[in-house]
Amino acid sequence: MQDISTPLEAITGPQHLRTLGSAIAVAPGNSDEVAAVLGCAQKNHYAVVGLGGGTKQGWGNAVEPALILETHRLNALREHTWQDMTCVVEAGCTWGSMQSALAQHGQFVGLDPLWPERATVGGIVATNDSGALRLRYGGLRDLIIGMTIVLADGTIAHTGGKVVKNVAGYDLHKLMIGAFGTLGIITSVNFRLHSIPPCTQTFSLSAPAAEPLGKLLLKLLHAQFSTVAIQLRGSGEGFALDIQLASLPEVLVTQAAALEPMVRNEGDEVWHARQELMTRDLVCKGTLLPADIARFAERVRGMGGESVTQATGIMMAGFPAVAAEQVPQLRRELEEASGSLVVVKQPAETKLDRWGTPPDSFPLMREIKRRFDPEGILNPGRFLGGI
Amino acid sequence: MLTASILGELQDAVGADGLIIERNQLQTYECDGLSALRNLPAAVVLPRSTAQLQAVVRICARYSIPFVGRGAGTGLSGGALPDDRGIVISFSRMTHILGIDIPNQRVTVEAGVINAHVTQRVSQAGHFYAPDPSSQTVCTIGGNVAENSGGAHCLKYGFTTNHVLGLEVVLPTGELVHLGSPTLDAPGYDLAGVFVGSEGTLGVASSMTLRIVRRPETVQVLLAAFDSISAAGQTVSDIIAASILPAAMEIMDRLAIQAAEAAVHPHYPECEALLLVEVDGPAAEVDLHMQQVRELCKANGAWEDRLAQSEQERMLVWKGRKAAFAAAGRLSPDYIVQDGVIPRTKLPIVLEQVAEMAAAAGLRVCNVFHAGDGNLHPLVLYDAAIPGQEELAIDLSMRILYLCVDHGGSITGEHGVGREKQQALGYMYSEPDLDTMQRVRCSFDPENIANPDKVFPRPRLCGEKTGKYTPHPLETAGVAEFF
Repeated sequence: MQDISTPLEAITGPQHLRTLGSAIAVAPGNSDEVAAVLGCAQKNHYAVVGLGGGTKQGWGNAVEPALILETHRLNALREHTWQDMTCVVEAGCTWGSMQSALAQHGQFVGLDPLWPERATVGGIVATNDSGALRLRYGGLRDLIIGMTIVLADGTIAHTGGKVVKNVAGYDLHKLMIGAFGTLGIITSVNFRLHSIPPCTQTFSLSAPAAEPLGKLLLKLLHAQFSTVAIQLRGSGEGFALDIQLASLPEVLVTQAAALEPMVRNEGDEVWHARQELMTRDLVCKGTLLPADIARFAERVRGMGGESVTQATGIMMAGFPAVAAEQVPQLRRELEEASGSLVVVKQPAETKLDRWGTPPDSFPLMREIKRRFDPEGILNPGRFLGGI
Repeated sequence: MLTASILGELQDAVGADGLIIERNQLQTYECDGLSALRNLPAAVVLPRSTAQLQAVVRICARYSIPFVGRGAGTGLSGGALPDDRGIVISFSRMTHILGIDIPNQRVTVEAGVINAHVTQRVSQAGHFYAPDPSSQTVCTIGGNVAENSGGAHCLKYGFTTNHVLGLEVVLPTGELVHLGSPTLDAPGYDLAGVFVGSEGTLGVASSMTLRIVRRPETVQVLLAAFDSISAAGQTVSDIIAASILPAAMEIMDRLAIQAAEAAVHPHYPECEALLLVEVDGPAAEVDLHMQQVRELCKANGAWEDRLAQSEQERMLVWKGRKAAFAAAGRLSPDYIVQDGVIPRTKLPIVLEQVAEMAAAAGLRVCNVFHAGDGNLHPLVLYDAAIPGQEELAIDLSMRILYLCVDHGGSITGEHGVGREKQQALGYMYSEPDLDTMQRVRCSFDPENIANPDKVFPRPRLCGEKTGKYTPHPLETAGVAEFF
């Protein structure tokens, strides 16, 4: 392979180049530099991996990159038009620093991803991470209104715009969300914003079995509370249902009074439970229908695992390494129930299939990949079906 | 023209009563809600099932016949305008609700199901289907999916794309695939997200799983009368700044009020600008928010504010708003409905400039808009009987869209690009942006038969390089042609 250090130095300056393991790491400072770097990589068939905070590099199939594209210089909150409740933020900005800047005007992006202090906007978008707030504010596909992306051949494309309501052209940014950087490098993202609620309160209810809590969860989904988040936690010790309400203080008083006979007040730390699970040896993301949450939470406990499941039907489950052999069966059960299972993290010696059964639209996905990245330089093999 | 043998194959696919080729019957399908553009299709098919639909698309794929899906034909951008060599696939016989799952808040429907019927079927259980285009009593979910339809309530509840979980789609190649799934975050690319709003250029959906929403405990609608549009616009910004997210915020100007009053008598106050604010949610929250909204209206000079007291009053208020487009016919023999979007804060300056442009063109523009999300619906009034006036009106309506783009907005918030705004899309996006979209289109439809010559500024064939025009190999070979 031709050494491309010299042309890369010419693009970014030598101070933004370093060696990382067996790869070259380059930190471009804007979309034009990203385009030039990718153009150079494509010409020389370098496998490229994007790197933000590095919190989720282990997700997806392993890739041996020849070139690591670091986004830490793309870290500005470029626009916060707070009167319009939108913002434009560069991909390398950490989630936490973006949120603190937005908070100056009492606004935020209504999403609670993992490791917000270190994870970057680009990485969170590429892995489509979301937490319990999805119930109220939606996921990234509902919050992102535009994007700037750079394709493998150096094409810089803008998709969407800076207005929330916009149906002009294809929603290309939806294609980039959760694509694990296999279609292009995201350089900036436009979000719609929400007001930070004036007052929130968390309640919990514990039970030895999941079923009654699952029933209550469904009831809450249909009830008239100002609910922002609901999750079911499960472990060997039992189960807990957490509910967060957000509204005006005087409204919360009334709603709390209605809930209080059933539940106890809880601190906000229960919402970190999902992140705590990520330290387990084997971690899987399951998707399921809300009515199946209790059943699968019991199932995970039966395998010696712990789980945190959002009311939207997204489960994070942590297991000891020995549970690995039961994961394929759990995957089959989830797929039969219209869901899926993705292995997020596993010990080196465990060789579970990361992604599960490809859907019947998989040939179309492969064709899109071929047209976006004909040389296959972007995160080769990392995604579903070896894309 | 379609040959007798192709027509025979189509008839085998959908049955004799599912194929229309008589000229007078074809005329029903020659245009959609944008009736200025008309084209007689070569044939219309009315499949009854996914299998029949797939058989039709396979025939189209085999002979490279252009096709376009059609629901109720209420689209406003010419998206369902037929190709004169092509086939219209009408969904008027695919109208079954396939499944209702209240615990999981999901409904599965065939593409021809009428939008309002979804809500009717789940309202007993305390739910509704949120996207509510003004045509919701007749328009179909399939059409809504193609156009990513919005409506007055998308300020709070989102658009069609936020409510479609999974789709069964017949690709332009004739293959049947499933995009998305009833659960969130299906592994793989979010093809459902790209398909919704692709205006029929990526294939035709046969059925879809939708998210339904719990009906709010309380709904209150306030009407406030202002002396100027900018005062009403400022109130909208103030409401948002006060951390209130109403279900809808609409503004109508004097002309629009007159038109609505003449058409459906909603008893609106006579004023320069009418602001309609709907707040919904838990009762205690709605009461407090509405109190704040009224105070903000007063602070901005509202001289009358009226709270719709009963369900009946509320429906009447909305009837006036939803009838506004059709009611413009009372003001002028002809009119163009436009659909630009601007950042909310640009409302006063853009409306001022629109008024100046209208005055310079010697035309009247009536304004009805979803103020909460900056979605303008200027109605350009004209008389086609006066020579040259139609051209002036079209020119003015396009310049209004360019103005929206210049202010950081979009050429369409909910009506789609269709045939009408193809050139304007080229004003909003650069060549590399459009080229990237083309990569997606060509992945789905390499032969360019799914609603061709729509959305994109100029018909392009897959593999064609942008820039200087060179004939595509298929074109040289006589397999395809630009038209």
